[in-house]
Amino acid sequence: MLLSYVSRRLAAVAGLTAAATLMVFLIAHAVPADPVLAMLGDRAASDPATVARFRAHWGLNKPLWQQYLIFLDGLTHGDLGESIITRRPVLHDIAQFAPATIELATTAAIMAALLGVLLGVLASVMRDSWVDHLARSLSLIGTAAPTFWLAFLMLALFYGGLQLAPSPGRLALSESPPPTVTGLYTVDSLIAGEYGNFLASLAHLIMPGAVLAAAALGLITRTMRASMLDILGKEYINVARAKGLKEISVIRRHAVRNALIPVVTLGGLAYAELLSGTVLTETIFAWPGLGRYTFQSAVGLDFPAILGITLLVAVVYLMINLVVDISYAFLDPRVISQ
Amino acid sequence: MPSSQMSRRALLSTAWTGAAVLLANGGLEVWPAQAASKKVLVIGTDISDINFLDATRQFTYSGPIPIRAAYESLMTMAPDDYETLQPLLATKWERVDNGNAWVFHLREGVKFSTGNPFTAEDVKFSFDRLQNWKEDPAELAGNFKSTDIIDPRTVKITLVDKSQPLLNLLVSPTFVIMDSEAAKAHGATSGPETPKTDKATEWLNQNSVGTGPYVIRQWERNSQVVLERNVRYWRRPASFERIVIRHIPESTTQVLALKRGDLDAALNLTPPQLDSLKGQAGIRLVQGTSLDFVYVTLTSSPELNPALGKKEARQAVAYAIDYDGIITGLLKGSATRPPSFIPVGLGGATETLTKQIGYRLDPSRSKQLLEKAGLPNGFSFDLSYGNAAIAGTTYQLVAEKMQSDLAKVGITARLNPLDQATLRTKYRQGDLQSVITFWNPDTPEPWAWAEATVQRVAKRVRWTVPQEVTDLVAKAGGAPTKKESDAYYLEYQKALVDQANYIILFQPVYRVATRTSIAGWKLTAAGWQVDLYDVKPVQ
Repeated sequence: MLLSYVSRRLAAVAGLTAAATLMVFLIAHAVPADPVLAMLGDRAASDPATVARFRAHWGLNKPLWQQYLIFLDGLTHGDLGESIITRRPVLHDIAQFAPATIELATTAAIMAALLGVLLGVLASVMRDSWVDHLARSLSLIGTAAPTFWLAFLMLALFYGGLQLAPSPGRLALSESPPPTVTGLYTVDSLIAGEYGNFLASLAHLIMPGAVLAAAALGLITRTMRASMLDILGKEYINVARAKGLKEISVIRRHAVRNALIPVVTLGGLAYAELLSGTVLTETIFAWPGLGRYTFQSAVGLDFPAILGITLLVAVVYLMINLVVDISYAFLDPRVISQ
Repeated sequence: MPSSQMSRRALLSTAWTGAAVLLANGGLEVWPAQAASKKVLVIGTDISDINFLDATRQFTYSGPIPIRAAYESLMTMAPDDYETLQPLLATKWERVDNGNAWVFHLREGVKFSTGNPFTAEDVKFSFDRLQNWKEDPAELAGNFKSTDIIDPRTVKITLVDKSQPLLNLLVSPTFVIMDSEAAKAHGATSGPETPKTDKATEWLNQNSVGTGPYVIRQWERNSQVVLERNVRYWRRPASFERIVIRHIPESTTQVLALKRGDLDAALNLTPPQLDSLKGQAGIRLVQGTSLDFVYVTLTSSPELNPALGKKEARQAVAYAIDYDGIITGLLKGSATRPPSFIPVGLGGATETLTKQIGYRLDPSRSKQLLEKAGLPNGFSFDLSYGNAAIAGTTYQLVAEKMQSDLAKVGITARLNPLDQATLRTKYRQGDLQSVITFWNPDTPEPWAWAEATVQRVAKRVRWTVPQEVTDLVAKAGGAPTKKESDAYYLEYQKALVDQANYIILFQPVYRVATRTSIAGWKLTAAGWQVDLYDVKPVQ
């Protein structure tokens, strides 16, 4: 039953992804700019032969529908085309920039999830106490504070002022990265046996991770608190208490597990958003990730790169949704039978 | 770095969310400045524009910094003197064959970082490869008929059109010399089929095969370029073991890292940030006049704008702009202004000449010109510009300032902000009435500016250039002495000022901030920002 459920969902993923790329393809081509004319240097852009050669190279001289079919055809071979700006296969670019973003977004997601759930539970159990007020204020600040402002503030305070935090970037500015295997510095430094670099890369993740986590933290805390309050008022909780279970077991086994369901949905979406929405944090913390690449591609009208990233973001969202849905099955087995 | 110390620091820092204890101690040096060890030079700048470090193919603003540290050209120029050629890999040169060709005598005893000796073969290979790539930078070699080896120490470059200048072009980082043997071993070719046969770019993006003081060790896109000392360098060895050029796109982050000493130099600071660093202990500001400028175009086409089709109306715009106000107000004085499309410092263009023959704010003259154009009540036009920052200000602010200046004489500028890609497309197609944009050179050769204004840029403003103006540019380019060419350029500039299709607003003076622990940072406008070889640690 679970298998057919998953395969149905996977088919939907493929369809939705294709639809997303088509939409972005059409929007990108509706812009009244010519990437070749805009990208080439002054002399080359004035040389019709050079311009024609570049257009032909990226298939921009073909009708739109043909360009899209070529893109789809490439997809079936795992080829996302060549970036107009970096002049490399888009897949290489994504493979280079994605690990930095994955590492950062995952750190942020873990921070937000752990702290958010903890704060949410504490706030609900100790409703209207100072813990509750603190948790609610923190989540309000996290949700309300603009990312760039928080990033500058943290950097100026902990790096510039108190000198507690390490420099921006994934490692010290003068340090060389570990040999690339996965592109995740934490993993690669362990593989290479560079324990100093492992700890350093962890340390460099904390501040940008915390900045990114802030917005998600607010949402998770508030949702967890509301969900817990809802469940703590349910009859089966009274039953559990009446059975003489210790309060800690009531909360842990009966309340938290059930209260997690809306938080898992939200957490999944938040993770997807973290993976695709790190431009500002990456810029301020000199983090060489996908966010910066996305921005550059969009500004430079780099069609192949824009399409590649769209595809990636669509897949990430849809896959995370799928994982979220499947995780319901474990949290609440009734989901599948419905 | 000893690993036990490293891990202690890292552990402390890993735990710093709960580090109230550390906070209480105040200012505990958990992360001592990285740049303290002066064997490594750390530079913070935006390097996201670099698309190649293959010297023959790169054509960007930041790429030349590492390229010119790893490779050398036949001649060079000292900062602030862009009219005197200095020998580098060539020691002497002379014009031959009735002026149709130049012969270069190459330096003896120079080795590439690979260990191979530098010969005429390498010059021919490098220039042939450049020419045959038929890409952006190859256009600079468009006037090369051939590069020929006379003997291992002598090469000859023959020109297609002898009225076009050559020598100053060769200073550009595009004309650096590669080790032909090593490049070929990694798949480089130099024949007519180069775009198809050459497979070396990927390797040359990560390694270098030049004669420069440093070698390229690694390039991680949007992250860093790492250079190491070339132990086989033909002059005194370079001062640093390693140079790390770090991609730090955000200027505020650059300031913080420079103050902490994690950076030795920060290259993209804004005028207010630079002013705030002035006089701070441990920090030095360095400045240099660029050869870049921001200019406004006005179309000649009556179809695009009937008023701008009249010369007097365009001149009225030029005399209504408060140039000094833009420079003092928006750029905090960090700029100069040339009379026309040749920057101050080249071709005889100076600030004094601007006062003599250039535009100035003169509203009454502007109004007279409007009357003469039959537009006593003024006129209106679309002023387009990119959504971008420039020299520490933004095009938006420059446009707003122009709009308010022009309003005083009755001219209405309708602001039309566009994204950069759309702006460039439409401008290059000649479809815009008026554009504020930027010119930065690929070589310190005044002819390159002049030629653009009578050829491709003229098309963008729909100006049918009179033959005598085109002739002036050709004569200036082919003149045997600077005095003669400057005289032609003077006439050319007067013609451009009268024509009023191009109005130069300002030529920025760039400033960077360095730590006082390094010295020798001089800004050059010749095309590579800084000669890293001259930068040294202070003992």
